[in-house]
Amino acid sequence: MKASDFYGRRVLINAAHHEELAGVQRLPTMEVGRHYVRCLRCNQLSERRVAALPHQQFYCRHCLQLGRVSTLDQFYHLPEPNQFQPVVPVLTWQGQLSALQARISAEVARGMRAHEHRLLWAVTGAGKTEMIFAGIAAALQRGERVGVASPRVDVCLELFPRFQKAFANIPIALLHGRNPAPYAYRQLTICTTHQLLRFYHAFDNLIVDEVDAFPYASNEALIFATRQAIKPSGGLLLMTATPGPALMQRVRHHELAVSYLPLRYHGCLLPQIRTKLTIGWRERLGKGRLPGTVARQVQDWQASGQRFLFFVPHVADLRPVQVALGKHWPTLSTLTVYAADPKRLEKVSAMREGKVQALITTTIMERGVTFPGIDLGVLGADDPVFSASALVQIAGRVGRSKKRPTGKVIFWVDSISRTVLAAKRQIALMNRKGQKLRHEVSIV
Amino acid sequence: MKCLLCNHQLHWQPRLSQWLRWGPISEPVICKTCQQGFHHYQPPFCPGCGRHLEGGKEYCADCAAWRKRLGWGLTHRCLYCYDDAMKEWMHRYKFDGDYLLRRVFCGELTAAALQLGADCIVPVPVTATTMATRGFNQVTGLLNCRLSPLLVTISRGKQAQSTKNRQERLATSQPFQLASTTSSLAAKRVLVVDDVYTTGRTIYHAAALLRAAGAREVLGLSLAG
Repeated sequence: MKASDFYGRRVLINAAHHEELAGVQRLPTMEVGRHYVRCLRCNQLSERRVAALPHQQFYCRHCLQLGRVSTLDQFYHLPEPNQFQPVVPVLTWQGQLSALQARISAEVARGMRAHEHRLLWAVTGAGKTEMIFAGIAAALQRGERVGVASPRVDVCLELFPRFQKAFANIPIALLHGRNPAPYAYRQLTICTTHQLLRFYHAFDNLIVDEVDAFPYASNEALIFATRQAIKPSGGLLLMTATPGPALMQRVRHHELAVSYLPLRYHGCLLPQIRTKLTIGWRERLGKGRLPGTVARQVQDWQASGQRFLFFVPHVADLRPVQVALGKHWPTLSTLTVYAADPKRLEKVSAMREGKVQALITTTIMERGVTFPGIDLGVLGADDPVFSASALVQIAGRVGRSKKRPTGKVIFWVDSISRTVLAAKRQIALMNRKGQKLRHEVSIV
Repeated sequence: MKCLLCNHQLHWQPRLSQWLRWGPISEPVICKTCQQGFHHYQPPFCPGCGRHLEGGKEYCADCAAWRKRLGWGLTHRCLYCYDDAMKEWMHRYKFDGDYLLRRVFCGELTAAALQLGADCIVPVPVTATTMATRGFNQVTGLLNCRLSPLLVTISRGKQAQSTKNRQERLATSQPFQLASTTSSLAAKRVLVVDDVYTTGRTIYHAAALLRAAGAREVLGLSLAG
């Protein structure tokens, strides 16, 4: 292995494959207590009984997917040396920011220079990615190591080509569980938040996109990983459209600075959710029929050739919906996609390229993906799997292109639940703020 | 308690008959859905390899070939089909090193081993390198009873059977030797236990050594095949 593989990382090496490398620090992997053992990669405790291997050895089950941490191994680590010579111009992005975006962008860049911990709260489709380009470019120019992480692999895959275009002179590493390419040491790294567990005091500035998404929001190991991956003096930028209560508390306690943008990049408001009652839809679907309101809406879409996303609460609902749609409109081309789908990435790109008219999906498509000019419906939006923030995110898939800044968001519900109400209220609030802001800007 | 394989909550309560029965109550460690993914072999079995055998033949083609080649044959038993669910489990247990997953089959394999009534139960050994990296012997982990480690691996760069194709597997040379502590096996029934039976090469190598050491009869048992 090369020395650069260890810069700012903790690489798991088995004692049997021990290598002598100049200056490499060898760190323990686990802390063995009387009743519990602690994994030093993900900081999680396990009972000794559960974590035991024969001969008084232990392993960690919490972060097993990333390669097993056990007392048979050691971490190899080299401190991050920041040996970068960025090629100018760093930023090759030619786009224009709106006045509002530029204001936030400058604020973010200032925060990154000061290595602040900051929350960027911008509505879905506000152009978050474009707003952080300036800050990243400045950081790269200063020779800093920068990471962009997201809990969702789809988001990483979408960000990677955009960053490649925007920073054409900077080699970028893309790390996620399904990427077979070996690790490469790069100044700019795009990775899933799980991959952050492998880093240790690596980044001068780390950006975490979609912080409220599953599994990041409720996963202590990933929050720990984020803290470990940045240098002790490093900066952190969290981005989301729907901050949860835990984040809001940190903002109130002034642990996080906050930048706020309630308008989309094209300056239009968010499409408001329309709810329609469809009582007993699941029974009807079981008989191969669609509820009347759903059928009429899909008929409209089918007639006008409008592409749409169709969300359902559970993986088990995907197939009946596809069958029912196929029975009503044999010419309508649909695909189903869910988290464990082996062809997930292909199907999403088929939808993006317009090869199919509709994508039937579960909550995995709730965020980070953009299909321009799309409409959407959520069947069973009152199901407990959809949290209020998930519903806001789903609604935020619509109206993201300049050509068609509006669109239909329809929630078919058995009953109006708290989550649906909360989502509607959140959108209304942001739209009110947005309208006010638009008014102010027009006066200036 | 959560399912060890899919992490879903287990809803389980002991039945009255379990309360009344003498002995410990065994809790399930995986959910019904995961359990249904694994398939037992259905009778009639081939007595040679323990797999399903149709058509009223005495032995399957593989076992007949072994008998022709060696002049003797094993009596082997397989518990499960080596299908996708089992391959997935085996991968997680052996290659990802999730030792806790032994609990899924430990009880059943131990019961099967004891039921055969052998004088000693010999697990197929792993190499020293595997022991240092994996940290456990996958067969020993699955057996919760008294074992006699009569076999050890010959220390040389042994390539894992699972990385080879059928011809290469069959051409493998003897990977084991008798442990130095082995006393006479004269007139004993010996049971060799492995995790997977594919071509039978490994277990026949083990059996040949044990027969040469004087064992009266060598039986085989594997979790999957």
